Amino acid sequence: MSHSPTLHERSEAEAGRLPPLLARAEQLAGTVLLGEHGRRRAGLGDDFWQYRPAQPGDSRRMIDHRRSARGDQQFVREREWQIAQSVMLWVDQGASMRFASDKALPTKIDRARLLALAGAILLVRGGERVGLAGPALPPRRGNDQIARLAAAFCADDPADYAAPEHRAMVPHARAVFISDFLGPLDEVRMALTKAADRGVRGVLLQILDPAEEAFPFRGRTIFESVGHTLSHETMKAGDLRARYLDRLAARKADLKELCRVTGWQAGLHHTGEGAQSALLWLYRALDRGAR
Amino acid sequence: MTVLAGMGFAAPWLLLGLAALPILWLLLRAIPPAPVRRMFPGVSLLLGLKDDETVSDRTPWWLLVLRMLAMGAVIIGLAGPVLNPAREQRGSGPLLIVLDASWAGATHWPDRIAAAEAQLTEAGRNSRPVAILRLSEPEAPVFLPADVWRGRLAGMRPEPWQPTRAQVDAALAALAAVEGGFDSHWLSDGLDYPGRDRIVAALRGRGALRVYQGATAVLGLAPVRFEDGALQLALRRSGQGPAREATVLAQGTDPGGNARVLASVPARFEAGADTASAALSLPAELRARIARFEVQGQRSAGAVTLADDGLRRREVALIAGRDDREGLELLSPLHYLQKALAPSADVLEGALTDLLPANPDVVVLADVATLSAVEETALSEWVENGGMLLRFAGPRLAASDISRAQEDPLMPVRLRSGGRSIGGAMSWGEPKTLAEFPENSPFHGLRIPDDVNVTAQVVAQPDPTLADRVIAALSDGTPLVTRKPLGQGQVVLFHVTANAEWSTLPLSGLFVEMLERLAVSSSAGAPDAGELDGTTWTPVQVLDGFGALRDAGTLPGVEGPALAQAPLGPDLRPGLYRSGDRRLARNVLSGDSVLSPARWPADIPVEGLGRRAELPLGGAFLGLALILLVLDVIAALALSGRLGIARQGAVSMLGALALLAAPAPGAAQQAQQAQLTRQGESEFAIAAAGELTLAHVLTGDARLDDIAQAGLRGLSDTLFFRTSVEPANPVGIDLETDELAFFPMLYWPVTPDQPTPSREAYARLNAYLRSGGLILFDTRDADITGFGAASPNGRKLQELAAPLDIPPLEPVPRDHVLTRTFYLLQTFPGRHSGREVWVEAAPPDAEQIEGMPFRNLNDGVTPVVIGGNDWAAAWATDRDGNPLLPVGRGLTGERQRELAFRFGVNLVMHVLTGNYKSDQVHVPALLERLGQ
Repeated sequence: MSHSPTLHERSEAEAGRLPPLLARAEQLAGTVLLGEHGRRRAGLGDDFWQYRPAQPGDSRRMIDHRRSARGDQQFVREREWQIAQSVMLWVDQGASMRFASDKALPTKIDRARLLALAGAILLVRGGERVGLAGPALPPRRGNDQIARLAAAFCADDPADYAAPEHRAMVPHARAVFISDFLGPLDEVRMALTKAADRGVRGVLLQILDPAEEAFPFRGRTIFESVGHTLSHETMKAGDLRARYLDRLAARKADLKELCRVTGWQAGLHHTGEGAQSALLWLYRALDRGAR
Repeated sequence: MTVLAGMGFAAPWLLLGLAALPILWLLLRAIPPAPVRRMFPGVSLLLGLKDDETVSDRTPWWLLVLRMLAMGAVIIGLAGPVLNPAREQRGSGPLLIVLDASWAGATHWPDRIAAAEAQLTEAGRNSRPVAILRLSEPEAPVFLPADVWRGRLAGMRPEPWQPTRAQVDAALAALAAVEGGFDSHWLSDGLDYPGRDRIVAALRGRGALRVYQGATAVLGLAPVRFEDGALQLALRRSGQGPAREATVLAQGTDPGGNARVLASVPARFEAGADTASAALSLPAELRARIARFEVQGQRSAGAVTLADDGLRRREVALIAGRDDREGLELLSPLHYLQKALAPSADVLEGALTDLLPANPDVVVLADVATLSAVEETALSEWVENGGMLLRFAGPRLAASDISRAQEDPLMPVRLRSGGRSIGGAMSWGEPKTLAEFPENSPFHGLRIPDDVNVTAQVVAQPDPTLADRVIAALSDGTPLVTRKPLGQGQVVLFHVTANAEWSTLPLSGLFVEMLERLAVSSSAGAPDAGELDGTTWTPVQVLDGFGALRDAGTLPGVEGPALAQAPLGPDLRPGLYRSGDRRLARNVLSGDSVLSPARWPADIPVEGLGRRAELPLGGAFLGLALILLVLDVIAALALSGRLGIARQGAVSMLGALALLAAPAPGAAQQAQQAQLTRQGESEFAIAAAGELTLAHVLTGDARLDDIAQAGLRGLSDTLFFRTSVEPANPVGIDLETDELAFFPMLYWPVTPDQPTPSREAYARLNAYLRSGGLILFDTRDADITGFGAASPNGRKLQELAAPLDIPPLEPVPRDHVLTRTFYLLQTFPGRHSGREVWVEAAPPDAEQIEGMPFRNLNDGVTPVVIGGNDWAAAWATDRDGNPLLPVGRGLTGERQRELAFRFGVNLVMHVLTGNYKSDQVHVPALLERLGQ
């Protein structure tokens, strides 16, 4: 009995977190002027693509009489190929994402969820099907799916560095992986090769805190991971800076190389910058990947 | 208390702790700072990275220094430092405090009392019995506990004299009477006096002698003399110090009776000189009011000189009954009087009724028998108010009936008729000599020369009152000088003539001395003992040691010679003395006094009087330590990154703390800039206002501004060549910053993208227009458009001019004054010649009077002229005077440029002369030129 109010309260709190995230995601998505998400080739769809002379084999129903009546030639009206894509999102919910070096900055996970959800909203508006990577939430359309995604994004992962989800990949779908990619690279490599095997292409968006880029520490310091599983002590943090930056650069290069091999696109976003540019980049990257 | 390096320490052993500071240095160096725990997701990338050096992070050297300083301050602070520590003077046994207590120490008397009090305190602390001996008023020293003396100390006053020989003797006797040995502390006044060495010897014979003496020289003021028409002031000082200036104040009463400083004069002691002198020239009226002179800032009797009769020149009115100017000079009844009085008195001559209103001190009537009723009344009144009437006998007086039957109010005695002659050819006996002056006579004590004799005189009628009134008599007892009081004044009669006819008295020095004794004249300079012989002087006011005048009270009188010569002492105090009508001042210093500084044997320790107060510094050191520790905390936090600010922030904060006391450099810089700006402004104003200057508004378009500048330069040159207007080089002005009032006219080219002036700039533009300024707006687009909002320039002009205070406008009418201020013009072309030019509209009631070619238009200068003919481009010339831009074609173009220049000339003339050419006075001339 005593658990039920606690459960209830927690539910309320969780539910309370949803609308702001959704609202912010909607607001962010609203800033992107959405063109029709066409495939730039003739095919099934609602929008006009081009008139072409009727060829043998075209059924008479396909002839556009309005255009053909202007001359002697008969034309066929073609529509742009519009096909719904399946997009799978994976947002790193690990503890390492729950970090912000400054109170004024959002945590990385906050920014990652926001970008993912806003991207999902845009995709849904564009008529795509969006879901989570993995078996939990398969791609679907509609606003309900957005709400479901938002709810799914609110679940934290206690592990320090979460591994990308690579199960139940829909073949030839699109995927968006958002993480700081500071954990073991092998998991990422495995997930991406597996995705490439299935024809899934997508986007890797790495989100980093400014402090992780600058390493502005000095003096005797014990660095701990957010989940307290890893720690490293140094007497002169200042001396580590150059080597840390080298390793970070190597990590970024690795990611880039991985993406080049698998045909994915790699992006980098800092929480110190605005979310909108990242969203735009994300949207365009998804668009490019479709061509 | 231990004294180290001028600083005393209550617990000096604690200072050994300073030796531990180097150990602290080593310890502090070795301890690494505590680690900081940080969340950092990137730790996965850090794993496996090793520190380059395993040695602990060193504390920065400046932090170590900070901590060492803090520890040092703590140690020193706990050791109890005291600045100016009181040196203990160990001593036991009786202590004698000797005070000179003369006027020389009066100026710094509180210091002496404080020093004496400090010594009493010290003696009380050591339980020494104390006696105080004042050499200027010696009493037998009585050794009492110090507390008893401390109570009496406040009542001690310096005396206005130096210890006299008798006092030195008395002091020596008193010292001899003391049994046993004692130490002595002598608070000297710094002046030497006879017998001082004897006291020194006596004191050294009894115990240790220590001398306390002030460092400043003693200043004194010698008696003031009157010479060469000015008051001669002589200052003395003890010792020959560096150059120094002293101011002498002359104090007295103003006509309202209030004491005030009547004059002041600076005197300068040259370096190495011990005397200084100054001369003070004052009008006689002011001089007579001076009561005393004193040296400013000195508070001693020696720095005061009292004024007496010596400084007063009496005014003596001489009136003779017989005015025989043609007679021999030596027979004149006034000749000897004039000779006797001239050196020491101001002699007035004239009619009695003219002289009395001048209120002379003495009126001398030489052989004047009868006075008119008016004169007699006036003279009586004057005498009763304190005047002195001195009469001399003569043939007229002897022949007259005055004071014969009954005593005349203005004669001291009744006279027998005729008088008598003694020792003449027809008389019995020898010429009579003078008898010794009786004791009640003012002449008592004067030596009578042998050759003074009297051959004729008027004789007093025997009366009961006669005996009292005789102040000088002949050897046979007949009165020679008689005197009677009358009201507050007196009447004196010499029974002989004022010349040598009747006696040889006027030929002798006795005559002058008698006049002095009668206060008819006063001698210059201090009288010597001989002159004062036989007189007794009563003290009126005496000086105390501080130089203040006090009532003499019941002090006894002083013999004249003693007053002049005897040294000052309890029996002869400096002050004002009086004998009869004469007043004599006895000052502390005489004319030849020298202030010689006291010299002490070399083995006697001499110390100054002043002592700086003890200043405990423990609190300050501990406070400093606290501040340093706080700084250390801040610095340590900043270094370990816990302060939430970067290290540079910490350093800058430390810097800010260090600079708290220093003035902000930014403010100084701002002030400097403001000053530069002001300077620039004033230079701009001087340049602009010095000569007539044409100005154009800077639009921000560099080419346009250049053309405007060149155009105004061309116009200025044209004005210079053709008219009496000689403008300086034109300037471009920034509406936001520059003052407009210096310019009679602004040329404002309009460009669509120029900035709109700010609200403040518009306020100043409106003020400029209201105060008679003119703005020539040029839209420069008359080639393409008409007037209005049709062009971008026109629209911009409307926008620019909207906030301006502009009256209704109209195109220039044919009879506008602009058409005839210098040239007769009807068109106003510039580079373009397309368009109307708009000016302030004529008042609606302006009508043309019949027969007159012009209406009587606006009374003043139009505030704006608006057009689009791009005048500046037509005017523009380079530095050599060649036109910059083409106008029109060929000769027609040159004609157009000429007309443009004429318009410019007319416009400037209009600005400068207003509606002068509108004045109807010029109509006939203009009509003639117009050929009508």
